[in-house]
Amino acid sequence: MADLFHNLALGFGVAVSPTNLLLCLIGALVGTLVGVLPGIGTIATVAMLLPITFGLPPVGALIMLAGIYYGAQYGGSTTSILVNIPGEATSVVTTLDGFQMAKQGRAGPALAIAAIGSFFAGCTATVLIAVLGAPLTKLALAFGPAEYFSLMVLGLIFAVVLAKGSVLKAIAMIVLGLLLSMVGSDIETGASRMAFNIPELADGLGFATVAMGLFGFAEIIRNLDAGGEADRELVQQKVTGLMPTAKDLRDSAPAILRGTVLGSILGILPGGGAVIASFAAYTLEKKIAKNPSRFGRGAIEGVAAPESANNAAAQTSFIPLLTLGIPPNAVMALMVGAMTIHGIVPGPQVMQKQPELVWGMIASMWVGNLMLLIINLPLVGIWVRLLRVPYRLMFPCIVIFCAIGIYSVNNAPVDVILAGVFGLVGYWLIKHDFEPAPLLLGMVLGPLMEENLRRALLISRGDWSVFVTRPLSAVLMAIAAFLLVLAVLPSLRKKRDEVFVESEN
Amino acid sequence: MAETAGQLPNRSASEPAARNNLGALVILVLAFAPQITELLTSCAGLIFNFSGRNPLQVLSAHGSALVFAISGLATQSFGGKAALSSDTLLALIYTYPMLAVAVFTLLVRLRAPQDYFGGVVLMAIALFALWASSDLQGMHGFSFGAGTAPRMFGVLLLALGAAVAVTGVFIDGAELATYHWRGPLFVMLAIVAFAVSIRPLGLVVSGLASFLISALGTHETRWVETVIVGVCLTIGCALLFPYVLGLPMPLFPRFLVQ
Repeated sequence: MADLFHNLALGFGVAVSPTNLLLCLIGALVGTLVGVLPGIGTIATVAMLLPITFGLPPVGALIMLAGIYYGAQYGGSTTSILVNIPGEATSVVTTLDGFQMAKQGRAGPALAIAAIGSFFAGCTATVLIAVLGAPLTKLALAFGPAEYFSLMVLGLIFAVVLAKGSVLKAIAMIVLGLLLSMVGSDIETGASRMAFNIPELADGLGFATVAMGLFGFAEIIRNLDAGGEADRELVQQKVTGLMPTAKDLRDSAPAILRGTVLGSILGILPGGGAVIASFAAYTLEKKIAKNPSRFGRGAIEGVAAPESANNAAAQTSFIPLLTLGIPPNAVMALMVGAMTIHGIVPGPQVMQKQPELVWGMIASMWVGNLMLLIINLPLVGIWVRLLRVPYRLMFPCIVIFCAIGIYSVNNAPVDVILAGVFGLVGYWLIKHDFEPAPLLLGMVLGPLMEENLRRALLISRGDWSVFVTRPLSAVLMAIAAFLLVLAVLPSLRKKRDEVFVESEN
Repeated sequence: MAETAGQLPNRSASEPAARNNLGALVILVLAFAPQITELLTSCAGLIFNFSGRNPLQVLSAHGSALVFAISGLATQSFGGKAALSSDTLLALIYTYPMLAVAVFTLLVRLRAPQDYFGGVVLMAIALFALWASSDLQGMHGFSFGAGTAPRMFGVLLLALGAAVAVTGVFIDGAELATYHWRGPLFVMLAIVAFAVSIRPLGLVVSGLASFLISALGTHETRWVETVIVGVCLTIGCALLFPYVLGLPMPLFPRFLVQ
């Protein structure tokens, strides 16, 4: 326990230095901006801003990127409530009750509850990271290659189970990602694989490039398809009476608590993440409510629970990254990229060798959440006005920003073209109802999986049974198999589909 | 490879039989896509003086490979010593199976074209990857060669792609979505323009040019405001990236600077 306080003190010491405070603020503001603007997601932004962080010290860079991630969760809720447009996938469910509340003239309380819920969840998750960090790091030391491989399999299976749509298609996307990650030089033999003597491919496909293509360009192209400005029915009545009533607080407190718990758990699990957490929290609230028919008609719990859940999940998803070095979702995968650029290999050794980095980042999350709570509500007016910028002006700006961003990663024009090609690939994937997120996850985990598989088999002298004879690995594999069976069982699939269908209406 | 399939034509509703014919045709083109691509690159090579095979060599090599691939395989399996050439392997591993898929497409009634064609393209990617990694070393005792993992994932993707395609034959599902050409074309053009011109022309010119090109991506563009925003953005970027962020980047055309 003393250790914990010592660590947190160290972290706050790092986080409240003026530079880091400023970076945290910038990250949170940019994140909110991105969250507010539909048509540009967190993944694309983090990819786009990677090069910007080159010149910063590693701690500062990570603080800023983390700020973007959780800032986006706040921003997404603002537009969901005020204009019925989820700025982020994570706040899609918030539109259901949030916008109804705004229509009834209760936009203020809805925004306030969303912010309070997010803040509470953020604080809880920060403490959770601090508490769980050290023990999980110890556990990580007991992990051999076989366990790592099994854990990654489990993570990928989780990603499949929690993804929406067809299980088969999601697995196919993961394997496609694994296959794409094989392009480039083999780590052990140095042989060039599937690179067709193209020098730019010798290093493999950079995944900032792929991420930008699949999530940046593809999204733009798809939005252009829709044609016509999406009718943004702005609720432009003045937002009055920000303070929720005592009854609102009483109603939403347990919902916030449940959302936080659910979100924290789903965030830690590999393959989970903020999107699924918000869906799950909403469904849970509806299930246990005495009068479920209130949901969709402006129930405050329907705002409180998902908003707390997505913020909690956004933060706890740092746990597997910081302790095991395994990114649980696509944004965390980009964080790995950011760390690698700064010469940090994510994993258990980071916590021991560079404690100020890890704890500084953790403390900055709490600081960032506080900033968001304070700045978010007064800025609501500005965010809403920003939404008036028409897409026809916004998308060329995003295209140029993305292009410059990719170019500056390696100063390589070829990367820009590759990202464009992946934009078309992403467009095709969307048209065929394939999800790009599992692909990116597969791509990040591919080299790690191959390396650990190779090592495990070398150590076991070619014996494949090593994955089920080592106890830890066997447990992980068993959970993975169990989940996969559950996912393809018809009864559960039906329920799972219902959750998503419901949320899309 | 996937982008080739992005050109699956945008077909309006018509009777299923006609759709399948067109779909089979697209798969047929896809089956020969690597050969066609190499032929086109070699033609371009003639103009720009790349090293590599000339078009006639490409044509004859692939032609004979496609015709004699089976007999080559037969001689090898009956104790022939000569290793199969890369072109022959391409025909055997990629083109022949894809031709079989094209024929299969003609014969079945598709219940979910969206899934079916999605699965088929995944199969194509997998087969192509299997060919591309066929020259890599495989298992060496119990240690992995460079080619082991790519082949493993390739086979897995092939199986999954086939499974997705099969569900498209047996289970009712979505029709093909319609593709639009305007957005993808101009956004892609803008990206290519940026990539080609950033080094010689610098950020100011290429940024503004690709901004304007990408603005063509929608018919809603109003040119006056677009140009104003474009100029402002270009100035902003020219200040932000090289000066504030210190990223090395050419600002003005090379010939002006010299």
